[in-house]
Amino acid sequence: MTTILSDLDEGGLVARGEAGGEPSWLLDRRRAAARRFVGQAWPDSHVDEFWRSTPFDVRFDVGRAIAAATAAAEAPASVLDRVEGGGVLVRVVDGALVDVTAHPDATAAGVVAMDLGRAAVEHADLVEAHLGRLTTSGDGTGSDEDRTVSLSDAAWTGGVFIHVPDEAVVDVPLSVHVHVATPGAHLPRILAVIGRHARATLYLEHTSAPGVDALVDEVAEIVVLDGATLRLASVQDWGDGVQHLGLQKAEVHRDATVRSLAFTAGGATVRLRPEFDLVGPGAEVRPLGIYLASDGQWFDLQPFVRHIAPRASSDVLFKGALQGRSRTVFRGNVFVGRDAVGTATDENNRSLILTEGARADATPFLEIECNDITAGHGSATGQIDARHLYYLRSRGIDRDTALRLIVRGYFTDVLEEAGLPGVTEHALDVIERRIADADLSAIQVNDLGLREES
Amino acid sequence: MADLEIRDLTVEADGNEILRGVSLDLDRGRTIALMGPNGSGKSTLAYTIAGHPSYEVTGGTITWRGTELNELSPDERARLGVFLAMQYPVEVPGVSVTNFLRTAVNAVGGEELPVRTFMERLRAEMAELQVDESFLQRSVNEGFSGGEKKRFEILQMALLKPQLAVLDETDSGLDVDALRIVSEGVDRLRSPELGVLIITHYTRILRYIRPDEVHVMSGGRVVASGGPELADELEEHGYERLKTSA
Ligand SMILES: Nc1ncnc2c1ncn2[C@@H]1O[C@H](COP(=O)(O)OP(=O)(O)OP(=O)(O)O)[C@@H](O)[C@H]1O
Ligand SMILES: [Mg+2]
Repeated sequence: MTTILSDLDEGGLVARGEAGGEPSWLLDRRRAAARRFVGQAWPDSHVDEFWRSTPFDVRFDVGRAIAAATAAAEAPASVLDRVEGGGVLVRVVDGALVDVTAHPDATAAGVVAMDLGRAAVEHADLVEAHLGRLTTSGDGTGSDEDRTVSLSDAAWTGGVFIHVPDEAVVDVPLSVHVHVATPGAHLPRILAVIGRHARATLYLEHTSAPGVDALVDEVAEIVVLDGATLRLASVQDWGDGVQHLGLQKAEVHRDATVRSLAFTAGGATVRLRPEFDLVGPGAEVRPLGIYLASDGQWFDLQPFVRHIAPRASSDVLFKGALQGRSRTVFRGNVFVGRDAVGTATDENNRSLILTEGARADATPFLEIECNDITAGHGSATGQIDARHLYYLRSRGIDRDTALRLIVRGYFTDVLEEAGLPGVTEHALDVIERRIADADLSAIQVNDLGLREES
Repeated sequence: MADLEIRDLTVEADGNEILRGVSLDLDRGRTIALMGPNGSGKSTLAYTIAGHPSYEVTGGTITWRGTELNELSPDERARLGVFLAMQYPVEVPGVSVTNFLRTAVNAVGGEELPVRTFMERLRAEMAELQVDESFLQRSVNEGFSGGEKKRFEILQMALLKPQLAVLDETDSGLDVDALRIVSEGVDRLRSPELGVLIITHYTRILRYIRPDEVHVMSGGRVVASGGPELADELEEHGYERLKTSA
């Protein structure tokens, strides 16, 4: 069956869930979300604070049918292909989980990676406790005010459940690869629970077949329990026809650590919300981002860190390069709640404008209800520095090669710090390819610095 | 005709005339010292030779082995064997020292050296100049101390094997030991194939690297020329006397 997004059909959703063997608590949640959906409007850039920079109605087409799962399309490459020994790979194609490639290390550690609908039955305790909790928490940290999230709560398909048990140390990456091969709306949903004192690496990969026009409304909920360590990456490698709404929300408990990288290079429009609720004292997050926007692309990146518990720390750093008529928005939100004494937070954004016509906006946004904290933020938009270019050229390196070195070098600190096997190499390749495809002769250089030289 | 022939060179920066007719000859195998008070135009001359975009040649010529340099980009000049050790080397974030040096060596050498061959050469030169291996992991000049930057310039000179080396105050900011290591490094590179133009305020470096000639700039012109003894005279009496006689 298909459903038109702009007119979500509650009865149809429930019938589909029943047919899929979903338990009644899950059907109830879908029903409740469908009702919320009906009561909500799509985001409106004139009204909604968080949508001020991106015109929803222009950049997202919601008049689409939910894509039906087709015969599994050919497997696109995964970043895990670059990891020696591989990892656990869960492939979701057109709203259906098509296969799970296990890895002996992960299996031995008790890692679960499976279809979310099935997990709602087989791991009912965990799934019932956590699914939708981060999107509907109702204590001001929830995201259900947003219709795009209610849509996922109500109608998700092709869900994935990942569980890393308490104390498990899993060094091989676990990857959920969402691939879109059919036009229409896609509603991938991920729930990951990282147990107490566990250590894991989780990737969310996003690709589409060439030429496919699609809307992807994705929600990932990631629960990181006490003392756990998670390295997280989300890789946006969509083709030109994809519009991506992504809420990737982690709840970080006592003394847990998350280091994440949002790598965004593909897609017509990507609106990504890497969110972190620091609910346990001593939690620590390092949200990193890299974006490469080319002609026609629009990326709206909105990391959101909520300091709920005391003595937690967060340090956001997003860096991007833009060329052609592209547009990026960085809205970095930090909320520090009443009880979050001893919070340390910083957020920074840097954009490199390579060619004329690109535009990068940055708004670091802090809301602080607690005095005893340290907070910083900064943003900068600039061009390649003529002094850097001259120095390299004075050593015989031609202009194009020098520009490549400089642009690649611009991202080095973030990539090195993220240190994600497979993702780092992939990101470097994408950066190289982007620069190779760029019209280097059009690259603008900032020569202001030259004057201070002597 | 000398290998490097500078004739009546006038140069502007930001609309100000800085060089007002400089002429200078340098043959490979020889070493010239260029001295002169602050602001006299020494760095401007050095940068102009190396094609820095801030400096506009408004008159005169710079010819290197028969080629008019003014038409060439900085990288083309470097590939013709021109090297400038800068007074203030630039930090280039994120570009690793190793990658930078390898790209530069391949560009100037005109062939892809096998990585192993390159690394062996690099390590050997680093050992000579007592540059620590840990620098290989760092970004070009980033966070280097003043002295480390100068030493890194000479490491590049050693690797790129130029035929014309302009050393702009390479000795400033070096401690006594570093000065000796760097000066001996430069001295070792001297050969019949290499012409050296040393810009300095001090005679100390000239004790290690004996110049064949000393020239003095003031107000954008060469105002005095002589043998090595001129440097000693200047150290003793300063530039005042020259300025009045010029
Ligand atoms: N890019 C520039 N724009 C404007 N003025 C400049 C520029 N570069 C140099 N100048 C000016 O030209 C003059 C000569 O500068 P230059 O750096 O060549 O002097 P110098 O002889 O190397 O001095 P020092 O001994 O202090 O290094 C100075 O007055 C300087 O301010
Ligand atoms: Mg100078």
